Amino acid sequence: MPAHPWTSQYPEGTSPEIADVTLPHLAAFVRDAADRYADAIAFTQCMPNGMNGSLRYRAVDDLSDAFAAYLREACELQPGDRVALQMPNCLSYPIAAFGVFKAGGVLVNTNPLYTASEMTHQYADSGAQVLVIIDMFADRLPEVLPNTDIEKVITVKVGDFFPPIIAGIIRLVQRYWDRSIPTIDIPHTPFREALEAGRKAIDRGVDVEAYMDGLDHDSLAALQYTGGTTGVSKGAMLTHGNLLSNTRQMLDMIGEDNIRPGTEVVLTALPLYHVFAFTVNLLGFFEVGARNILIPSPRPPSNLKRAFENYPITWMTGVNTLFSALLKERWFLEYPPDHLRASAAGGMALHTAVAQRWREVTGTEIVEGYGLTEASPVLSFNPLSGEIRDGTIGIPVPSTEMRIVDENGEPVPPGTSGEIVARGPQIMEGYWQRPEANEDVLKNGWLHTGDIGVMDEDGYFTIVDRKKDMILVSGFNVFPNEVEDVMTQLEGIAEAAVIGVPDEKSGEQVRAYVVAEDPAPTREEIIAHCRKHLAAYKVPKSVEFRDDLPKSLVGKILRKDLRAELPDEQFGFTPESVVGDPRK
Amino acid sequence: MSHTFDEIVVATLQEVPELADVPDAAVVTEFEQIMLVALLFVIMFGMGASLTPRDFLSAIKKPAGLIIGFVTQFAIMPLIAFIMVLTLNLPPWVAVGALLMGSVPGGTTSNIFTYFSKGNLALSVLMTTNSTLFALVMTPLALSIYGAGLVAEGAEIPIQNIIVTLVILLVPVTIAMWVRSKNANVGAVLELMGGVFGIFVIIFLIVTWVPRNWELLLTTPWNVYFVPIMLGPIGIGIAYGLSKLLRLHPMNARTVGLETGIQNGPLAIGIVILSFSGAALDQAILIPVLYSLFIVIIATFITLYFRRANLAEEQDIPSLL
Repeated sequence: MPAHPWTSQYPEGTSPEIADVTLPHLAAFVRDAADRYADAIAFTQCMPNGMNGSLRYRAVDDLSDAFAAYLREACELQPGDRVALQMPNCLSYPIAAFGVFKAGGVLVNTNPLYTASEMTHQYADSGAQVLVIIDMFADRLPEVLPNTDIEKVITVKVGDFFPPIIAGIIRLVQRYWDRSIPTIDIPHTPFREALEAGRKAIDRGVDVEAYMDGLDHDSLAALQYTGGTTGVSKGAMLTHGNLLSNTRQMLDMIGEDNIRPGTEVVLTALPLYHVFAFTVNLLGFFEVGARNILIPSPRPPSNLKRAFENYPITWMTGVNTLFSALLKERWFLEYPPDHLRASAAGGMALHTAVAQRWREVTGTEIVEGYGLTEASPVLSFNPLSGEIRDGTIGIPVPSTEMRIVDENGEPVPPGTSGEIVARGPQIMEGYWQRPEANEDVLKNGWLHTGDIGVMDEDGYFTIVDRKKDMILVSGFNVFPNEVEDVMTQLEGIAEAAVIGVPDEKSGEQVRAYVVAEDPAPTREEIIAHCRKHLAAYKVPKSVEFRDDLPKSLVGKILRKDLRAELPDEQFGFTPESVVGDPRK
Repeated sequence: MSHTFDEIVVATLQEVPELADVPDAAVVTEFEQIMLVALLFVIMFGMGASLTPRDFLSAIKKPAGLIIGFVTQFAIMPLIAFIMVLTLNLPPWVAVGALLMGSVPGGTTSNIFTYFSKGNLALSVLMTTNSTLFALVMTPLALSIYGAGLVAEGAEIPIQNIIVTLVILLVPVTIAMWVRSKNANVGAVLELMGGVFGIFVIIFLIVTWVPRNWELLLTTPWNVYFVPIMLGPIGIGIAYGLSKLLRLHPMNARTVGLETGIQNGPLAIGIVILSFSGAALDQAILIPVLYSLFIVIIATFITLYFRRANLAEEQDIPSLL
C-alpha cells in the first residue's frame, strides 16, 4: 500500500495496518474472550430506576451455546439461515446474537420500534426463519408473519436474567402499570425455555463446535439493513471477516493506552441493533473484557442517571443528540462521571460546540468518527492519542484507504471536495439479493459512500454534504422516498416531497411538502397516517401545503430546490454552490 | 366509640395545657397510630432509596434553580393555611393541624399526578426531594412564625417534638440511602414500595378511620372542612398562576402548581401522632387526615383539567422502572 497522508498522524503504537485476524469467525471470537475473562461481568442491564441484572463472560458463552443448540436442533436452522433479532438493549441480546453466530446463522438486526409494514419488509426481504422478539412488541406479529418465512418465534422479556424477585416486580409493573405487555396470539417460545431445551440438547451430547465447521472470514454474519441512497431498505451483507476486522481496526485506532483490558466499564445507551453500537460496544468492548452497561431506553436522558450513579463508567459511545441531551441535565452537570476516560461519537455529525462543552464538563476527551452500515461501520476516527480536530471525521482507521473522487471516480487533490470512497477489510460483500444496487456503490473494490467530503493535507477528512436526500434524525436514516410513499397512499394527497431541515435537538427533522387534492386531508390526518405506517423518527415534524412542487424536465420532484428555499443560515452553505452532484 | 366534633373540642379546652390523656376520645386508635407511623416509615424508606448523598449536596449547593418551588412550598402554603386559620375561626388545636398541613413538604404522590397531567416529572421529583430536605428547617420555622398567635388561645405547638420527629424520620431515609448504595435492586424495590404505600395510607384511612369516625365527620362544621378541601386547590392555583406570571414553560408551571398544592399528608399525620398527645392529638390530626383523603380526589380533577391543556409535549415512558 502506498504511503498515505494520514499515516504519520497515527498515534505511537498504532500500526497503519492491523495484525492478521487469526480468529476464524465471530463464534470463536466470543469463545476466546469468554475464556480470557470468564469470571468478569460482561453485561449489566440497568433500568431507569436502578433495577439491574448481570451476566458474566462465562455465562454469556454457555447461554449462547445453549441458544445455538436450540436454533440448530429445535428450529432446524441450517448454516446461512437468517435469524431476526428485534429487541432493545437487554441481557438477552448478546446471548441471542452470539448464539446465532455459533449456530452458523446470519443475524438480522431489527429496530423494535418498526411498524408492521417495516417489519414485514425486513423479514420478507431477509428471508428470516426465526425471530427473537421482545414480548412488548410481539402484538404486531399476527399481521406481519403471514407475509414472511418466519416459522419460529422466540420471545424475550425485559427482565430476563435479572434476580427472580426483581424480574417479577418488573413484570408486574409492565403488566399492570405500564400496560406494555400485549397478549400474543401466535405460537411462541419464551427465550428461557428455548435455552433450557438447548442446554438439554448439549447435555445429550450435541456438539456446538461442530456447527461452526465451514465458517470462515467470508461467511455471512449479518444482514444489516440500511436504506442506501435509493430509499428501499436493503440488507448490507457483513461477513465474519468484516466485523472481526472492523473490531480490530477500531480498537487499534483507540490505542492500547486508552482501553485497558479487563477494567473498562462502557455505557451502551445506543441500541445494539444499530451497527455502530454493535461493532464498537458489543464486539469491541467484549474483546477487551469490559463490563458493558446496557441501557434499554436512553430517553428521556434522566433514564441514564442511575447507570452513572451506580457504575464507574469509564467509556461511553453516543450520537450528538445524546451528548447534547446529557449536557442539559442538571444531575449530569453537577456530578459529571468521575471515572470517565473518553467518549466516542458517531452516527451523525458531532457539533463542535457540543464536543467542547463535553470536554469542559467531563474533563475528558471526545472523538468523532465516521462510518456506514456498508463498512461494518467504522471507516475513520479522530485519533484519541493523536491530534483531534473537531468538525472533522478524523483519519482512516488502520488498514483502510479513503479517497475523495470526482464524478469520474478520479482522485482529487487535497482541499477539493468530492465523493468519499473507501476500501478495506470491513467493506461489505454487497447488498442482499440486489446486484443492481451493488453496482452503484461497489466499484473496483471501493465503497462509494455518497457522502461529499474534503481531505486536507494531513489526511483528515471533513464531511461537506451528505448523500443528497437522505435525512439523518438522531443518527437514524430517514429516506424521503419511503416517507413520500406512505404519504401518497393517503387519500387526498396528490404529491409529496420530503426533505430534512436542521434541528438543534435531533440534527435534522423531517419536513414534508404536500400537493393536496380536494377534499384535502388536514395536517393532523397526514401525521396520524404516517404514524400508523412509519417509525416515529420518520414521521414528518412539519407539513406544508403547496400548489405544486419543483420538478425536473422528466417530472422528478426536485428536493434540492425545496432545500434551497430554506434560509441560507439554516443550512450554513448552499450545497450546490460548494460541490457538484457526483451522482449525475 | 365515636364522638362528635364538639365533644372533642371541649375535651381539649378543659384539659389544656396539660394535654391530658383522653383515650375515650381517641380520634385515631392506638392501632391506627402504629399502622400510620409504620406506613410513614415505609414511605420515608422509599424516599431515602431514591436519594444519593449527591442529591443532598446539590440541594444545598444550588437551591436557586428551584427557588420558585421553594417559595411557593414554604412561604405561600403556610401563609394560605395561616390566613384560613385567621378567617375561619378554627378551634386552636384544629388550627395547629391546619398550619402543619400548610408547612409540611410536598408529597411523593405529586409525582404521580404530575406524570398524568403531562408535567415535568424530573422537576417534580427534584422538588419533592428538595422540599423534604429543607423541611427539617422550614417546617418548624413556619410553624413557629405562624403558630405564635395560637399560644394565647392555649395551643402551644410542640416545636421541639416536631423537630425531633423530623430527625427521627431521617433514620429510615438514611438507612434506605445506605441500602441503596449497597444494592441498587433492593433500593429500587424500596423506592417502588414507598410510592405504593403512599396510596395504602389513603386506603387504610378509608377502610378503618372513616367508618369509625362517621359521627365526627357528620358533626364537623364547614369551616373545618374548608381547609383540607381548599388548601390544595388554592395552593395549586396560586403557584400555577405565579409560575405562569414568571413565564415558566406551561409544563413546568403545571408541575410547580401540583407540587406545591399536594402536600405530604402522611408526613403531617405522622408528625401529629409522634409529636402530640391526648386530646390535642385528636384535634390536630383532623385536618391532616381529611386533607389526605380529599387531596386524592381534588388532585385527580385538577389533573384531568391539566390534561385537557393542548400541548405537544408528552412523556413516552412512565418512570416506574
